[in-house]
Parts: sequence; structure tokens; C-alpha cells
Amino acid sequence: MTDSKVSPANETPETPGTGEGGEVRTSHAGNPAEDATRPDQVDESPAARAAGAARREALGRVLQQHGALIVLAVLVAVGSVAFDFFATAENAASVVVSSSFLAVIAIGMTFVIISGGIDLSVGSLFVLGGVLAAYGSQAGAVVALLLPLVVCGTVGLVQGLIIARTGMAPFIVTLAGLLGVRGLMLAISDEGATTYLVKDAAFARLGQGELLGLTYPVYIAGVLALLGMLLLQRTGFGQNVFAIGGNEHAATLMGVPVARTKVLVYLMSGLLAGLAGALNAARLSSGVTILGIGLELDVIAAVVIGGTLLTGGAGSVTGTVSGVLLLGVIQSLINQVGDLTSSFQQVVSGGFLALVVIAQRLLSKAQRLT
Amino acid sequence: MSMDPGRHLRMAALTLAVVLAAAGCAKSEQTAAAPAASDTQGRQVVQTPTGEAGSTCTLDQFGGTKFDLKAATVGFSQSEKEANPFRIAETKSIKDEAAKLGIRKLRVTNAQSQFSKQITDVQQLIAQGAQLLVIAPLNSDGWEPVLQQASAKKIPIITVDRKINAKPCGDYLTFIGSNFYEQGKRAADQMIKALDGKGKVAILLGAPGNNVTTERTDGFKEQIQKQAPGIEISFEQTGEFAREKGQQVTEQLIQSNPDINGIYAENDEMALGAVTALKGAGKEPGDIKIVSVDGTRSAVQGIVDGWLYSVIESNPRFGPLAFETAQKFLDGGPIPDKVIISDREYGKDTAKAGLDEAY
Repeated sequence: MTDSKVSPANETPETPGTGEGGEVRTSHAGNPAEDATRPDQVDESPAARAAGAARREALGRVLQQHGALIVLAVLVAVGSVAFDFFATAENAASVVVSSSFLAVIAIGMTFVIISGGIDLSVGSLFVLGGVLAAYGSQAGAVVALLLPLVVCGTVGLVQGLIIARTGMAPFIVTLAGLLGVRGLMLAISDEGATTYLVKDAAFARLGQGELLGLTYPVYIAGVLALLGMLLLQRTGFGQNVFAIGGNEHAATLMGVPVARTKVLVYLMSGLLAGLAGALNAARLSSGVTILGIGLELDVIAAVVIGGTLLTGGAGSVTGTVSGVLLLGVIQSLINQVGDLTSSFQQVVSGGFLALVVIAQRLLSKAQRLT
Repeated sequence: MSMDPGRHLRMAALTLAVVLAAAGCAKSEQTAAAPAASDTQGRQVVQTPTGEAGSTCTLDQFGGTKFDLKAATVGFSQSEKEANPFRIAETKSIKDEAAKLGIRKLRVTNAQSQFSKQITDVQQLIAQGAQLLVIAPLNSDGWEPVLQQASAKKIPIITVDRKINAKPCGDYLTFIGSNFYEQGKRAADQMIKALDGKGKVAILLGAPGNNVTTERTDGFKEQIQKQAPGIEISFEQTGEFAREKGQQVTEQLIQSNPDINGIYAENDEMALGAVTALKGAGKEPGDIKIVSVDGTRSAVQGIVDGWLYSVIESNPRFGPLAFETAQKFLDGGPIPDKVIISDREYGKDTAKAGLDEAY
């Protein structure tokens, strides 16, 4: 069993034409891009066709990933015209600062989803990371930072090992993580009733210090996004993540270290969620225990809006950053209206998300046609 | 890609997760000592005469500048969805009073029970030029970023119903709300009366991390310990101020502790959830005595129907008092560091008449 995917062997009976007896073509595993390699298409140069298909696909991907960016730009433009206080430095700062924590988690989630998995434990790891950081701050800034990283990293590592070694579905493994980790957080905070305060000034400065009107976590998120981008696009590890998500069976045959890559991906996701929690605790000066409920869904939404395929195999960190900012901008626009009831606010943000995804799909289709 | 079955399954599971996560929380408060006149029905009454011996705050001490409330931008940050009577009444009261006073630039945000969102909400209210902030805080700690920004701009913050752990007349102006410890104590008195001083009692705790839950719990426990050592608190678990959660916890409770005599619910929503659970288990009204805090109409009706023994009120109608306090502050008057309102209580004999004042 390889997570939620169907291996090519199981797929074969569903391939059109195989039920008619006679010759069974199993050479392509349902990937249209590989049509060019079909042996009967000899009238056209296979290489040229492959190049054309690859180019179309590349363009489609670019558009899919920049769809979020385009929608983001449109929303910002509309918001600036429609509302007096939208395009102010102060409002922009509030959007960017609050997005930075989500962005840190979403970078890890991008890798997980591209690899064909999902990590539902990040919301719980975020709150646990914050509580541990505040607790650890009694012993200084280093402990405050290391304690959440070690614990959340370990949780990520264990989840990764279970997923990679047993082939259990990431959804279930990390759902167990979501529940278990929140339970752990409640256990160390007296059922959530004890809020540890950040005692260490140096650690608090990590979350509150400002440079050019933006707090440090914004820059940390920026650097991490850059590193994530390089790791995904320019390294063998990144290629392995894509390969596993595209077709795990093929990746295994190609000699990609599937298990190791998966473990690393979940380890990274756990570490980043813990780090985001710690930075947030520094910002709030306390280990607030009611955070992170449903956060995993926001993160997944941001990643998918950013153009990463929920089924894996395609995606980018830049798209994810756009997706995170898009969510922040939508919230900010709702606040600019200023008198929507809470239920209607939810309708509006749900509607916006649907619009974004549809716009993205149309954009990438339009691009494919040209 | 030919992975559609997996994808559909995942989407379905995600949708399910969204629905499950949508269960909110609730909470509340109100006034009891002096029955309000009928023209100001259910209005909050300040318990302690203003200008009490405690420390007070004036505009000069705070360091702010006077502005015209009517022309000002006022921000109200609500913590939870308006999905329970307390929050509905609270938001409505603020909006109605602002409309009545002619404050046209009232901006309302709702954090949907997400604390990170509430912080961002308030920061964006400040970015919109709010000169006065009324905040119903979701959590008591973690307000550092907001307080820094507001105090740099000398924006007075009035917190309603829950407290912020910070310095009054500096980080924030004042807190308006009930004496939750007292509410817990009065609930204990009712429970003692209901059980004749002996029996086993369960507590449905509120959401963790705020002063309301802590104080309602402490007040209840300490009073029970002092007045009725014959009552044993044999079960306590959080129902997060939500009806579904209260029902769920009570279902577990009657499985694990079938000999329970009373339930103290720290808000009405959980008490109503408990009633549903008891009905489901085939109990009759009055088999298990329920005492709760809030004073919502459904709960007071519950007393009339015999399911609830007593309800200690907690008044959510903060609008008039909040703007009155703000105006007095702007006029240079002394503002106490906390404005405690007095809360009514409903029992079997007063419930029917009290239905009109419940919210």
C-alpha cells in the first residue's frame, strides 16, 4: 500500500481498451504527456512532440502557480480603490506580519503535498510549539527555541517513519498526530488553563523586534521561503519530492530513495510548524493554548490556492507564498467592510476561495490553448 | 492523473473535518441585585458606585487627547461567531447603542474563535484609524502586539466580558464585566440548596485560557468546600462553552458516573446540551439538578420546564455602559480600573416573570 495512490499495476485494468482482449497496452500509466512515446505515433518526430507537450505543460504550470499572484494583484488593486484604509503601510504590515507564521508552516506543507501526502498535525504542532517555547523561555532564549524544535521535529519524524515504513495513509497518521499533539499540549498546560508567559527578553525580541516597520518573523519567513524554493527546484531532494508525488511506483523503479524522502518531508513540516509556534509565542509574549484549531485547513488551502496539486507531483513555494498572502488580504478586505456578521463573513471568505480556484483553472486553461 | 478516487476521498474527509471544526464556543454574564426599570429592560447595572476606593484613571493620567465620540472611528472586536445568545446580544447591544448615539463610523470585526485572527483584526482596526477600541477578548493572555500598538497611539481600550492580563490605565483603559467569582459562588449556593447540602456534583468547565472559566470554577469550588462539605465534586471536564460539547461530555458523564446528583454548567449553552443528553438517557426533569450561568431565554425557559434548577445571570448588553464609560473618560471623569456589573438570578419562582428580561 502506498498512501492514497493507486499503483500502476492496479490501474491497468482501468486503462481504456484493455477489456477488449487482444493486445494490451500498458506502456503509459495514464500520463498524457507520455503519449508521445507511444510506439504507433511514428509519423511525427517523437522528440518534437515531447518537447511541445513539455512546453505546454510548463506554461500551464507557470500560470497555475501565478494564478494566485494574479488574483492577489487584482484584489489588492480593487481593495486600494474601494477602501481608504486598505493600501496603508500599517494595514499592509498587519497582513504581512500575520501571514508570516502561516507562511512558515505552509512551506513545509508544500513539500508534503507535492510528495503526494498531507499533514494534518501542523495546527496542533503550532500550538504545542508556542506553549513549549513559552515554557522553555524560563531557561533562556536558546531553550525556548530548541525545545519546540526538538519536540515538534520528533513528532514529524515519527509520523514520517510510520508513513514511509508502513505505507499507512498520511491522512490517518497525521490525523492521529493532530489529536495526540493537542492532547499533549493540554497535558502540559493544565488542560489549557495555564498560560506560560515568555520570561526571556531576547526571545521575545525575536518575535517583536522590528526592521523597517516589519517584525523579524516576516524576514525569517522570507528567508525560509527562499531556502525552500532553492531546495525544491535546485536540489536532488526537491526532484525526488516531485518524482514521488508524480508517480511513486515509477520513482521507486528509478531508484529514488522514497522512504527517506518521505521521512524528511514530514520531519521538515513538523520542524517548521514548531518554529512558527515558537515565533508566534515570542510575538505574543505568551504560550496561548487556544491557538491553531483548524489551522491545518488554512495552510492546506493556502498551498492549494498557490497552485500546488492536492494529488501531488506539481507545485511551488512561490505559489504558496502568494496563496498565504491571498488569504490574509481576503480577511483584511472583510475587515475593511467593517459590519459584516460573522456568518456572512464566512460565506464571503468561502466564496472568495471558490472564485480564486476557478479563476486559476480558467487562467491555466486559457494558457494551454494559446 | 488517474488518482480520482483517492482525491475524492480526501476532499470528502477534508470537508468533514471543516464541518467538525466549525463547532464554536460560547460564554457570558449579567445583572441581578436591583430589578431594572421596564424602559431599560435588562440593562446592565453597575454594582459598585463609580469612583470607588480603588484606583481610577482620567484622560490626563492615560495621556490621551479628547475627541468627539460621534465623529470618531470606533472599533469593536468580537471574539466568537454570533452563534449563541450571549454573543448575539453583545454585538447587537454595541451596534444599537452606537446607532442611538449617532456614532457612524463603528467598525466591527469577528475573530471566529481564532485568537491569531483577533490580534490581526484589532491591528487592522487601528490601521483604519480607530480612536476607541472595545474588545471582547477571546483569551486573556497574548495581547502584547496589540497593546504595544495601541498604547503608542494612546488609543483607549475597553475590554468587555473577559479581561486582558495587562495594566489598566496604560495598556488598556478599563474592563467592564461581571464578577465571575461571585457568579460561581452564587451558583454553588443554589446547588447546595438544590441538593440539601449533600451529593455528587459534576462541573462542565468553560473554555480554557480565560479568566471567566477560572473564576467561575474557583468561586463554585471554594463556596462548596466552605458551606457544604457533604457535596463531592466527582467529575469535571471542559465543554468549551459550547452546546454540542456540553451534551457530549454529559453523555460520557452519565455513563461513567450514573450516581451523579447535580451538574454545574459554567454557561447556559452547555447546560442546554446537558439537558439534551439527560433526555436522551431517559431522565426526567429534576432527576439531576442543573445550575448554570448566563440567563439566556432558552435556559430560563428550561427552569420553567423543570429541567434547570437555577440560572445565575450574566448580562451581555455592554453597549450603553461601554459608551457611557468612554464618554465619561473623554469628558475627563475618573474611570475605575474595573467596572463590575451586578447580576440577577433566576429560580423556579422568578423564571416565568424573568423570561422577558432574559436574552
